Amino acid sequence: MGERITFWYGCNVLRHGDIIHSCVDILRRLGFDVQPAGGPDYCCGSSKDANQTAADGMAHRTVTKFNHLQRERVVAWCPSCHSHMTDFMGQAYPADFALDYFVDLLYEHRDALAALLTHPVPLRVLLHKHVGFNDKVKVNAKAPALLRLIPGIEVVEDDYAAPGYMCAQLASVPAAMADMVRNTLRLADAHRADAVVTLFHQCYRELCGLEAAGATQVFNYVQLLARSMGLAYPDEYKEWKKSGPHAAATIGDARLAQVGVQFFERAMLPELVKRPPGLDAKSNQPSTGETK
Amino acid sequence: MAEQARATGALKAFIHRETERILGACTRCGKCVEACPMARYSAPLAGAEPQAVATGILSLLKGEPGTLQALGWAAVCIRSGSCVPACPENVNPMMMVRIARMVASGGLGGPQQIAGRVDRDFFERVRGFAKLQLTEEEIRNWM
Repeated sequence: MGERITFWYGCNVLRHGDIIHSCVDILRRLGFDVQPAGGPDYCCGSSKDANQTAADGMAHRTVTKFNHLQRERVVAWCPSCHSHMTDFMGQAYPADFALDYFVDLLYEHRDALAALLTHPVPLRVLLHKHVGFNDKVKVNAKAPALLRLIPGIEVVEDDYAAPGYMCAQLASVPAAMADMVRNTLRLADAHRADAVVTLFHQCYRELCGLEAAGATQVFNYVQLLARSMGLAYPDEYKEWKKSGPHAAATIGDARLAQVGVQFFERAMLPELVKRPPGLDAKSNQPSTGETK
Repeated sequence: MAEQARATGALKAFIHRETERILGACTRCGKCVEACPMARYSAPLAGAEPQAVATGILSLLKGEPGTLQALGWAAVCIRSGSCVPACPENVNPMMMVRIARMVASGGLGGPQQIAGRVDRDFFERVRGFAKLQLTEEEIRNWM
């Protein structure tokens, strides 16, 4: 039996079932005994800046639940969860576990991972990076090293890193988000990249709209690792983005009934039809807005 | 059944200790403001003296009303962390601005001074996407 770990995937990545399933499969094939944990009942509370009483309760509940699982390591997928546990939750509530990050764990086991990556993925890719989070985990250095384990892949060298630590926060400052999109598309074009590859689910959620708009292919790095391992989980979120206003038909009546048509239309559909800012409406090329 | 999220006050106590540490360590030099890649996206920060912006942030931490510049900086902080190595006093300005944002959002009990993003559907939306992509067994055992 391998090391018993908790895989803390977080909340928002639940949009991307293929990423969660792929991560769990990768960890299991690397020999770990994995207990996945996430969703609202394991929320870190980092989104509750405006209500620290709620954030306190969430921190207490999540640390307590992890302690009860009695696993030595919690391996986080989400950089918000990892940062909030490091900076706040673990400072307030004693944790009976070590905290690690998914990229770090894969990098630590990169020799074993390389042996699993047997299917070529012939793509020249531009990694979408951010300035932040690298003080905690050297993701901007380690993720390209992981991608280069995949046969056939070429990761272009570029120094650009967007402000913030992932696109969810950047999206709250629309001008900055539009600048990032324009920069990313121009760099992808300049490097003749086949695709943009994101590190985090929030960035993927924002940028896969570029593929839906026909501007460039977009993947998350785990999707490429999974493809090289022969895992075949469909990327439904991207398909729904591509379907846009017709996403309900793509999802199908039976599944839609599980969440309710009215709720879907009010609370889920708007993000599926949203276009990334910084795109020209007609050409789907970077708009002419001034990049700061 | 889901466990209740019960606050004990430990998180607020930690934030209070951090606030005291920061207030005691920051010299208002403004190097953190100069290093910020997001300051250019805040209209109140155009032409602002970095020292004045930092002083305004400390005022927020003391529970005083925020200056326009301080509130403007707190509103655009997205935790790039470029300020952290720029600080000569090892204050951790990212933590400083994060706590200032909590204060300005009304998150620690004071008045709300900057707009907060209220998304009442956040958790239900997450559960909705989970229902579409995870099996019932996975939802039961993983969430």
